[in-house]
Amino acid sequence: MNTHVEIEAPTRELSYAEAIREAMDIALGSDPAVVLMGEDIGVYGGAFQVTGDLVHKYGEDRVIDTPISELGGAGVAVGAALTGLKPIFEFQFSDFAALAMEQIVNQAAKVRYMLGGSVSVPLVMRFPAGSGTGAAAQHSQSIEAWLGHVPGLKVLQPSTPEDVKGMLLAALADPDPVMIFEHKILYKMKGHVPEGYYTTPIGKAAVRREGKDVTIVATSLMVHKALAAAETLAADGIEAEVIDLRTVRPMDRDTVLDSVRKTGRLVCVYEGVKTLGVGAEISAMVAESDAFDFLDAPIIRLGGAECPIPYNPELEKAAVPQMPDILNAARSLAKGQI
Amino acid sequence: MPVEVIMPKVDMDMASGKIMSWHVGEGEAVAKGAPLFDIETDKAAMEIEAPDAGVLHFAAPEGSEIPIGEAVAWLYADGEAIGEQPKPFAISGANTPAPAPAAAPAPDHSSEAASVVSRPSDAEAVPTADRPRATPSARRLAREAGLGIDAIPGTGPRGRVQAEDVRSALNSVATLSAPPGFTSETGPLAVTRSKGGTGTPVVLLHGFASDAPSWAPLEPYLKHRPLIRIELPCHGKSPRRRFPGFADLVKELRHAFDALQLDQAHLIGHSLGGALSLALADTRLRSIASLTLIAPAGLGPEINGSALTGICRATRAESLGPWLKSLVAEEKLVTESYIRLAMAGRSDPALRAAQVALADTLFPDGVQAFDLRAALDRVEVPTRIIWGKRDAIIPWNHALRAPGRVALHLFDGIGHMPQIEQPDLVGKILRAAV
Repeated sequence: MNTHVEIEAPTRELSYAEAIREAMDIALGSDPAVVLMGEDIGVYGGAFQVTGDLVHKYGEDRVIDTPISELGGAGVAVGAALTGLKPIFEFQFSDFAALAMEQIVNQAAKVRYMLGGSVSVPLVMRFPAGSGTGAAAQHSQSIEAWLGHVPGLKVLQPSTPEDVKGMLLAALADPDPVMIFEHKILYKMKGHVPEGYYTTPIGKAAVRREGKDVTIVATSLMVHKALAAAETLAADGIEAEVIDLRTVRPMDRDTVLDSVRKTGRLVCVYEGVKTLGVGAEISAMVAESDAFDFLDAPIIRLGGAECPIPYNPELEKAAVPQMPDILNAARSLAKGQI
Repeated sequence: MPVEVIMPKVDMDMASGKIMSWHVGEGEAVAKGAPLFDIETDKAAMEIEAPDAGVLHFAAPEGSEIPIGEAVAWLYADGEAIGEQPKPFAISGANTPAPAPAAAPAPDHSSEAASVVSRPSDAEAVPTADRPRATPSARRLAREAGLGIDAIPGTGPRGRVQAEDVRSALNSVATLSAPPGFTSETGPLAVTRSKGGTGTPVVLLHGFASDAPSWAPLEPYLKHRPLIRIELPCHGKSPRRRFPGFADLVKELRHAFDALQLDQAHLIGHSLGGALSLALADTRLRSIASLTLIAPAGLGPEINGSALTGICRATRAESLGPWLKSLVAEEKLVTESYIRLAMAGRSDPALRAAQVALADTLFPDGVQAFDLRAALDRVEVPTRIIWGKRDAIIPWNHALRAPGRVALHLFDGIGHMPQIEQPDLVGKILRAAV
């Protein structure tokens, strides 16, 4: 259903936040059905200044400040999507999705199924996510696995400015609800971003670095930590293949399995709590497939600690995988020590 | 995290070991490499060293039987929190390795009887240690190559067979050609019999410090006949005991040969196995259809005692390698992976000790203490001697002492292992002969 436009567009450096704003600007400018909704996204410019001055360009009818009620705002967004608009709904922190779960899980995800496909919910929700900002337990979580467990939702974790723009535009082109988790640490990260309209496919992982010795499947910010680890590993003569999963649901089975068939070793790195998380799904996917026969070592999952994200900065770091953890895990696997 | 101490695999067919005693008490510190505990397998007792430095906790009770690869204790770092025992012991209910010698009429193995404890009621409990640890990838590669995973030594954690181990095994000389399927039988000595072949069987006797699988390169040329591989005492899976002299070794072998109840057999022996074949033929002449002696011992006093001792005593691939290379003319044949595989097959200290003792009996001071030239004159069956003129273990010109009716096949550019160095040459001669 999505048409992914491949174009040779000039690129320039934008931050991740600027890339999101540019995608929303293009969408607002080209499709009158697109509206932005969220708390303080108007004059204030959004909790993380992602919407910026779009309210001045498109007016308060299209860049809509919602009251401090995530459940109410999300309900309005779902209703608007059902009745012809294409809302982009911003949460201030992904943690607050807990307040809006009824609308996300029981309404947005299910309505199409329950009405026999006669309606759809073309809704995009944006979730500033992750730890590393000193914002403690209620503002630092990575809850993509919660929503990834719900049939009817698509769950994205773009890791680069180019991808977040292309995936946001792909999400708008999708007739069903798409949840986009944006790691807060990434907002200031700069990268090349093509100009104009383009889409980045949903459900397709990206091989960020090729290697033959060990596969590291990472999500979001962890992709960059994995790439840094891969640099160090290369100095040791270990070639790690780094896969940026990009989409949690639907997961790109082929890219992961092909890589595991090649390397025989797998590390999954994700910031969400380790138990029952994204890495469990990746591991099970491999174990259930014919790629199992190519495993030459146990699978390692590196995920968040089994605790709320601590406020103390050192503990906060210790609660999620860091580069040395990835390095040690991949090296032990590649050297046959585990 | 504490270091797990596991029951090591010290013997090729060992499934579990019994903890005899601990050298270190609960809460006491031990240095890496220091004696930690004694174990007893169905073959031998030995001392196990500490895999790391640490403080001993949760040691398995003395007398308990633990499958190989399973935890027997944990070593904690100084000051590390102890907490609860990391996991329960996998104590074997069953003494699974059925001790064949105890069931067979073997009068001389009294030393083994002490370690045999029969608890037949537990026979149905199959301990997991019977299944070798291997990664899915290693199992797939072995399956595709037609290799049994349990024949491949594992170099991974806890002896796990990894893909690289299978590739090494595939590259090694010993497994160049997949052998026809063999089945084991019980008897005084370890005997494996091929499943295929018809007509007069071929009995194969390997050389000193070798074993039955070493015949693999030659087997494709002989597979039209039933193949019977006998492992010499103190070798492979055969029992280990001391022999006062060569004659006692022959007696043991004759016992095993008689147990096969063959009307006729072609005998092929290499090196010490050649000498034993000749001695066997001397007293079982009517059962021998032909005799093939490959670089045989017993035809002169000279032998390379340093090489024999070096091979027997080597405890690491680094010390075994140079001696293995002296066996062949073309050193390239002895690859690193072949050396590793050979060393893995010699990892049991009890096996090495038995062979050191045997070498001392048969080749005291580097001299062949037995002379079979008279036997060679007497044995009037079709006989051939195959020898490489670059043999650095036994001088090839011993062959020239053979009587005129013995056929001589003498090859330039081959060392002490013609059947491994040039299996096609040797194989074609044998195929025409048997």
